[in-house]
Amino acid sequence: MRSVVALAVLELRRFLADRLNLFFVLVLPMVLVVVLGLQSGGGGGTAQVALSGDAGTVAALEAELATIDLDTSRHAEAATVEELVSVGTADVGIVVRSAEPLQLDLVVADEQTAAGLGQLVRSAADRVTVARAQEDVLTGAGLSPEQAAAALDGAPDGWSAAGVEVGGTDPVMEEFAAMGRFEIGAGGQLLLFVFLNTLTAASAMINARRSGAIRRTMAAPITSTQAVAGLALGRFVIAVFQGAYIMVASSLLFDVRWGDLGAVLTVLALFGLVAAGVALVIGVVVDSDGLASGIGVGGGLILAALGGCMVPLEFFPEGLRTVAMATPHGWAYEALAEIQRRGGGVLDVLPQLGVLAAMAAAVLLAGGWLLRRSLGRAM
Amino acid sequence: MTTSTPAPASTPVLSSTPVLEAVDLVRRFGPVTAVDHVSLRIEPGQTFGLLGPNGAGKTTTISMICGLLSPDGGSVHVAGVPMAQEPLAAKRRLGLVPQDLAVYPEISARQNLTFFGRLQGLHGAELRTRVGEVLELVGLSDRAKEPSKKFSGGMKRRLNIGIGLLHHPDLLVLDEPTVGVDPQSRNAILESVEALAGQGMAVLYTTHYMEEAQRLCDRVAIVDDGRVQAEGTQDELIELTGGVDTIVLSGGGDVAAAEVSLRGIPVVQKVARDGNHLRLVVQNAPTAVAGVVRTVSDAGMNLSDVVIQRPDLESVFLHLTGKALRD
Repeated sequence: MRSVVALAVLELRRFLADRLNLFFVLVLPMVLVVVLGLQSGGGGGTAQVALSGDAGTVAALEAELATIDLDTSRHAEAATVEELVSVGTADVGIVVRSAEPLQLDLVVADEQTAAGLGQLVRSAADRVTVARAQEDVLTGAGLSPEQAAAALDGAPDGWSAAGVEVGGTDPVMEEFAAMGRFEIGAGGQLLLFVFLNTLTAASAMINARRSGAIRRTMAAPITSTQAVAGLALGRFVIAVFQGAYIMVASSLLFDVRWGDLGAVLTVLALFGLVAAGVALVIGVVVDSDGLASGIGVGGGLILAALGGCMVPLEFFPEGLRTVAMATPHGWAYEALAEIQRRGGGVLDVLPQLGVLAAMAAAVLLAGGWLLRRSLGRAM
Repeated sequence: MTTSTPAPASTPVLSSTPVLEAVDLVRRFGPVTAVDHVSLRIEPGQTFGLLGPNGAGKTTTISMICGLLSPDGGSVHVAGVPMAQEPLAAKRRLGLVPQDLAVYPEISARQNLTFFGRLQGLHGAELRTRVGEVLELVGLSDRAKEPSKKFSGGMKRRLNIGIGLLHHPDLLVLDEPTVGVDPQSRNAILESVEALAGQGMAVLYTTHYMEEAQRLCDRVAIVDDGRVQAEGTQDELIELTGGVDTIVLSGGGDVAAAEVSLRGIPVVQKVARDGNHLRLVVQNAPTAVAGVVRTVSDAGMNLSDVVIQRPDLESVFLHLTGKALRD
């Protein structure tokens, strides 16, 4: 066991000794989380809504929007609302064009926000309209406005409201709309960088093979299984370190909510094992460290794109989505989506964990076999 | 490189037990037999040379001795421990210094030594002490914390050798340690091997440089085409030539034609060409030299130098294989 740990520590030391690796591990993921968060618009953990127009209607809308945890701000001019949305200070703007009948202009920066937050705003406007209609009916029946308001306030005590949940036309968009701006990109970046940075370890292994250091290692009193375990463990540690760093840093800096920590760490561990195995395979099969870096970066980016780390899987056409499920990223993405967006736990993502475990076993066994074979061939 | 008295090996080798006994080693790669029934025996304190040209099978033989490659036939015992049955115990008894600079360049000399020491089963205070001793031994104590990629070629070579010494092996295996090394570093390496041998460490030294084998080795096995062509002390090997002499001709002109012409003279037993040099094995060189000079001149070679040499390992190799060592 000491030999396995010694090899793993060595791999970690070599990885951290390269300052470029530190940039890719510590700086770049955070930069991309911020960039993707800004691209997705919104105002942090809670969406910001800017309103303008008839004071009574705006007040009624503010009261409705507050019930679904949206922050609001009131402005005198419609132009101000448009400007706030265009610079990203507000996620969505509402301009009341007419109070009676109620007519609103929705100001959004992109289609994604229009589909998600727009649905929530429409629901709020509907509730305001219904409340006004009820008031009109009661005042028409002879009640004073105060009596009508009091009757409506007391109405829920006298009858049970129908159990109707207002669902959006697109539940996926509602899921995204309920997420903070940085949460949308964080999961994808986690998977992308864990895989990418683990794969860069392949070129370090090629250098060690070419320098004879691996051969010398095998001349020491260790078994080939211990050597494979040590090399894989080193890469696994890099993967988990990378993932844990993104999780901690994004939580502290950007208030990203990751959901059930145990479940996310389980996904991360299995995904890291897959990455470690793939790095081992590349490190053995490829003889040029330049080529290995190319394959690592190129392959890592392609797999990440296919697996939903750049554009969410939910926006993929059906055929491409099938392809995505051939990648570890696709399964890990689905697992993270379940945990992060729908409050799932380990039991909810067991199928995804099973597939990731099978993938990890397959690539680690292949890497070990190839390494043993290459050592025999290299004499 | 400085030297110090080594600590005793963890388990002393009995004086009657050879440090290395390799019997009938065979290794094939597809249709090619790289090592063909090679047997070696090294006694404690002996420096044993494996002399042969590139591709002779030296590294493959060493790989089997070090447990890196399974032999297709034969057996290896290191200090009496069978490599096939007890590979970990056998590997503990030897230290390998590969031909390549087998160190991790990103980490320091101390970290390299500590890592390989851990693999050898050293830990704690014993490991720290031994790393310090080896750093002192190879003259890198003051640079111990620097990444080894900043070292000169000679310093890397010294570190490479130091790693092989960490665990007090019974047998130190050096695989062509001077290939691609500048003359100064090369001399330092040879001096360090002499010092280790002087301290009683058994050494297996592979080389294709005849001068190194002559300088360092008590016994030499001459290998070619995967086989041991001859084995013995230098005097025993030289006797194999039957008292023949060597004439080395140097010059320009048509050296190839001169080589062909020399093969037609009965007094010339063997001819090998190395660039503009012709190396001949002849009986009684003082008598033969006049005819040799006349023959090569007639063939169009412009002689610049003629040297008559006492037989050496190069002559032995030429005598046994009909080839120069660097062919």
